[in-house]
Amino acid sequence: MTVARDVTTHLKPPRAVFVPFMMGHHFGVPFHRDLQRRVILEALARLTRAEQSGEIHDIPVTWAQARREGIAIEQAMGLRA
Amino acid sequence: MSLQYLKDAAARHDAEALIRYVRLHLGDGDEGRGRREIDKAWVEALKPLLDVPPTDREFIHETLSTKDPATLAHLFFDLHFYLVKRSGEWIHDGNL
Amino acid sequence: MTATSSDREQLRPGLWATVNERYPGSMITKSDLVPLTKLGKPLAASRLTFVSTAGVQPRGTLPFDVTHPVGDYSFRRVPSSAEPADLEIHQLKYPTAGANRDLNVVFPLERLRDLVAEGAIGALTPDVYSFIGYNMDPERLERTLAEEIAAAVAADGAEAALLAPA
Repeated sequence: MTVARDVTTHLKPPRAVFVPFMMGHHFGVPFHRDLQRRVILEALARLTRAEQSGEIHDIPVTWAQARREGIAIEQAMGLRA
Repeated sequence: MSLQYLKDAAARHDAEALIRYVRLHLGDGDEGRGRREIDKAWVEALKPLLDVPPTDREFIHETLSTKDPATLAHLFFDLHFYLVKRSGEWIHDGNL
Repeated sequence: MTATSSDREQLRPGLWATVNERYPGSMITKSDLVPLTKLGKPLAASRLTFVSTAGVQPRGTLPFDVTHPVGDYSFRRVPSSAEPADLEIHQLKYPTAGANRDLNVVFPLERLRDLVAEGAIGALTPDVYSFIGYNMDPERLERTLAEEIAAAVAADGAEAALLAPA
């Protein structure tokens, strides 16, 4: 998992999954179970699908959308007005 | 800074390189903030002593005379963080 | 709303250059790629471990050393059955705003357990592994901490690992 593609490019792990999220938020935003689950599954899918060492796979998500969805979930949970 | 970079700086007595590192560490990656944090820690160290309450001088004396220099230096870093936390103004949000 | 290409790029650009400018030589750079080893069986039949630099640890254990100027080269075992309320974070160098409200954003034990319950993952190792990423001696990090965690993970019978720097 990485939120820093440039750092990962130097480190050269055999498999990497990039998300354009804030540091410390690799699996998304609070209480967004679906997103957290999806990020994990997309990362683990590389175990069988990665074809070339060093490839960095992008998960098609954005931080803005993750935050919007997170806010809606918190509103539905009554955690936020 | 890598440890080797810091050791090389210490060997050539490059105090500027060393204090820059300390300021970055204490300033959450911001040298200017680190400078202010060091000042803040000293202000916080001074304030509880102004009413001259009794303090445990035996503890201080025994600690300073029995503990090794590295442990005491480590304690100095811990005391810095303890004091700035007591100030109620905690700058360490981890945002680089 | 359609995502633009910039939405897909890293939120904090130039991280590598920034860290290197501030802390020369502290980052690990590799010139060679590690050969890819494919998972020998389905994930649903595999035992997974999790390794994190988030500084998460069981409550009441000796806190990671966040004050030492050279870093902390120890790691903690965290039971994979631990509840978020049993855990706390000792690490200063990444934003914990989300994790303080829902630990799963950086240490997703509950989601991993959900996936085991659903059958997507075979099992989790009894413990997962945690350390802090603020270390000024990358050579020591590789020689001691990384090797120790790798040995512990192997002894746990892990067949795959999810690694998440904070």
